[in-house]
Amino acid sequence: MSEMWINMGPQHPMTHGLWNLRVKIDGEVIVDVDPELGYLHRGIEKISEDRHYNEVVTLMDRTCYVAGLAWEHLYIIASEKALHIEPPERAEYLRVMCEEFQRLGSHIMWFSAFVVDIGLLTPLLYGMRDRDLVLDLFQSYTGARMTYEYMRVGGVRNDLPPGFTDRARTVLDWLMARFDEYDKLTLGSDIFHKRCDNLGILKANDCIAHGVTGPMLRSAGVKRDLRKDRPYAAYDRVEFDVAGADSADVTGRYLVRMEEMRQSVRILRQVLDWLDRNPGPVMARELPRWLGAPYAPVGREGYLLKRNYPKGVGFSSIEEPHGEAQAYIVNEGGEHPYRVKLKSPVFSNISAARQYLVGYRVADIPPIMGSVDVCIGESDR
Amino acid sequence: MGPEELRAALAPALGPSLVGVEPFEGFAARVRFRREGATELFRAVHGLGNTHLSMVAGIDWVDHREVLYIVWSDAAKQYTLLSADLPADDPHIETASGVWPSANWHERETWELVDITFDHHPDLRHLLTPDGYEFRPLLRSFKIHEPEELEVKVRHV
Amino acid sequence: MSSATLYSVSYDLVHAILAAIGSVLPYPGNVWITNPDLITGLAVLVFGAILLVATMLNTILLIWWERKLLGRFMDRRAAMHVGFAGLLQNFADGFKLFHKSTVKPREADTLGYLSGPTAYMVASLLIFGILPISSGWNSGALPLTLLLALAVFSFAPLFIFVSAWSSNNKYSLMGGMRSAAQMIAYEVPLLLAVVAVVIVAGSFDLTTIVYEQQNYWFWGPLFLALIVFVAAMLAEMERIPFDLPEAEAELVEGWNTEYGGMLFAFFMFTDYLRALIGSILVVLLFLGGWTMPSWVPAAATSFPLAGIVWLMVKTYIVFALFVWVRASLPRVRTDQLLRVGWNRMIPLALLSIFLAAVLVTVRCLPAFGCIPSLGT
Repeated sequence: MSEMWINMGPQHPMTHGLWNLRVKIDGEVIVDVDPELGYLHRGIEKISEDRHYNEVVTLMDRTCYVAGLAWEHLYIIASEKALHIEPPERAEYLRVMCEEFQRLGSHIMWFSAFVVDIGLLTPLLYGMRDRDLVLDLFQSYTGARMTYEYMRVGGVRNDLPPGFTDRARTVLDWLMARFDEYDKLTLGSDIFHKRCDNLGILKANDCIAHGVTGPMLRSAGVKRDLRKDRPYAAYDRVEFDVAGADSADVTGRYLVRMEEMRQSVRILRQVLDWLDRNPGPVMARELPRWLGAPYAPVGREGYLLKRNYPKGVGFSSIEEPHGEAQAYIVNEGGEHPYRVKLKSPVFSNISAARQYLVGYRVADIPPIMGSVDVCIGESDR
Repeated sequence: MGPEELRAALAPALGPSLVGVEPFEGFAARVRFRREGATELFRAVHGLGNTHLSMVAGIDWVDHREVLYIVWSDAAKQYTLLSADLPADDPHIETASGVWPSANWHERETWELVDITFDHHPDLRHLLTPDGYEFRPLLRSFKIHEPEELEVKVRHV
Repeated sequence: MSSATLYSVSYDLVHAILAAIGSVLPYPGNVWITNPDLITGLAVLVFGAILLVATMLNTILLIWWERKLLGRFMDRRAAMHVGFAGLLQNFADGFKLFHKSTVKPREADTLGYLSGPTAYMVASLLIFGILPISSGWNSGALPLTLLLALAVFSFAPLFIFVSAWSSNNKYSLMGGMRSAAQMIAYEVPLLLAVVAVVIVAGSFDLTTIVYEQQNYWFWGPLFLALIVFVAAMLAEMERIPFDLPEAEAELVEGWNTEYGGMLFAFFMFTDYLRALIGSILVVLLFLGGWTMPSWVPAAATSFPLAGIVWLMVKTYIVFALFVWVRASLPRVRTDQLLRVGWNRMIPLALLSIFLAAVLVTVRCLPAFGCIPSLGT
């Protein structure tokens, strides 16, 4: 068989989304790849320019459908900086809780999808079963399982329902036991190591040059985690370790993500304890009146009308489940943001596809791309 | 590295194309430069340890356009913002993808959405919009609430 | 050993019916209808129909068994709404597939596209005419049933490749090539493992092989051959961990990507048909077929059709093992699979032949007993 291009996508079981990986193969060996994005481009940045600040939160949920709260958090931090608003401390802890639960949900979702890529069916169902527990928790305090619309400029929409922290702790205990089970099903199998060791190698230098971040970078020996390096929200007040590995391959990325889930549980336990001890307001007291419209946040206590609202630029950078996500928001004084620029880690991670795919085999594409953890909603925006 | 040190480090290499280095919230500094000295600036900033380019963005200020580069230094654990103003009638700048390969896709995106051309870019094709798509959606002149303008004109190539 | 076979039963049935019709017909008709050739021909048809229906029902039950088992392995309940415990779910799925229209790709080769799946299914069904299901349930005295069954079993790569190539799709082609490479690579250890059994039993006839196991089943002394046979059979059946030809993660559906509706049902059905054949072969060659050890109470082995029941029980247990493997192992890669096949499986199979030769020399094993044909 001579060299030929095959289209893996836009509808292909490997893609986990809507994108097209054009692969040039010689027999079963990959000679060249050309990722094509844009199948899910909804123009979120453009639509944001016609929305109130709080309405944009709705769009952020749709940016990444498995990590909606992390993107809300990203956007909210940037827009609060652009609008010069300080959230109360309890809201910051609640946001950290949201983000870490979201990291759990996203990583379990990744685990489920990844094991199918190497042909394991059972852990897929285990993962979906356990992710549902996290979604149940989301539902109990945001009212939604996927598109939450929970955060608001100046805080969060509502406080936790009674008994939430105890339920959350039960879920965390259950999850911690399940992580060991996951490891047995994957790392315990020789075939898993045969498939994933020394596969899709992307060394630290290449990662940095091509802008690859998140678990991929940490598995290459660079312990860059924005929660530690550049703490935001309440991350400077919780203890955790940055997960890392040195192998820079698919197994390394697996190990990093599993360790990150365990660290998330550790963070969440501290945050839940703090939330139990420190009741308080979850919305800032002073907010511009126009910010409340048209959907007034629950729990507002006194809006002040600010005339000649100051302009500003807000920048935030958070450690999203997939890597380094950034938002750059320009406030030109109107009710709508002038420009919302979102940077997705998946976008950069896919752009380096040629570096970690060429030279491997067609059968290696699903595990490698699975280990990248592709979420097309956020790379296309 | 504060703004003053950054200015001292960059000024010799750039000369007049360095417009200013000023403090900026969330960043080590904001470096404003003219597009003539773009490549020198990228090399100099990269040489200062800012090995990771996080994003390239464009903003349409109607009378002019602004192109932003956000870089990260692992040693200083800080972001630095680089920005250049480009005239609206001729928005182009030298590509940064020779210095930071990660700029490749960000510049493709900025080109197709904000209509800023990157000279000597290795692969300036449409990324998020279909090939032959004529509009530049993130320009202020592109209004999404006027349905008659929503008719997508795709030139088949 | 009962003298009635499935064929003799169907012959008697046809003969009785035709004789009854002939007794009421006038002269030329009654001679014509009791013509021995006609009776033989109709008896073969009835025999085939009974086999076909039994096989199909069994295969559908096997699919149900896999679905239920997989469901339990995966902490869910699987099919449970259509019929008792979801037993009729597969019929519902089958009817859905049958009334779908057949969509043929425009560039596909019609002859190959249509004949590939059909031949694949027919060739696999053919094996059921050969396999002895119990002492009285075989087609007759063929001395080389084992060889014939394996020969027909190995037709599959040809038909798979024909359908893959003629559907004119890159994924199908890659799946077809993988399938051919894999099946040919694993054909060799499969046959070598069978040779070990044949050496000990001294016959190619499956019925004889089963009766040679009356003192002890072969899985103990020929354990190595059993391992090789089961692994090679997994590869032949294209099940996880060897399901590369239809590895859905990279090849969509492999060689049957372009098939939908009824033709897809043919492929799906035949995959399970082959799984059933593989499980029955394991039982016949290594697990004593329809016989049971002497410590089993006579009442449990002497009721009508007891042989079939016990063979099916063993088959479903063997298949449960395959499902367990599927539920817990990832998929290997093509080159790894072929390397394991040529470098590991064949030496192991040769070793198992050597062990079989040793067993034949020793004749009797202290803990087990003797093989009848070898004497004491």
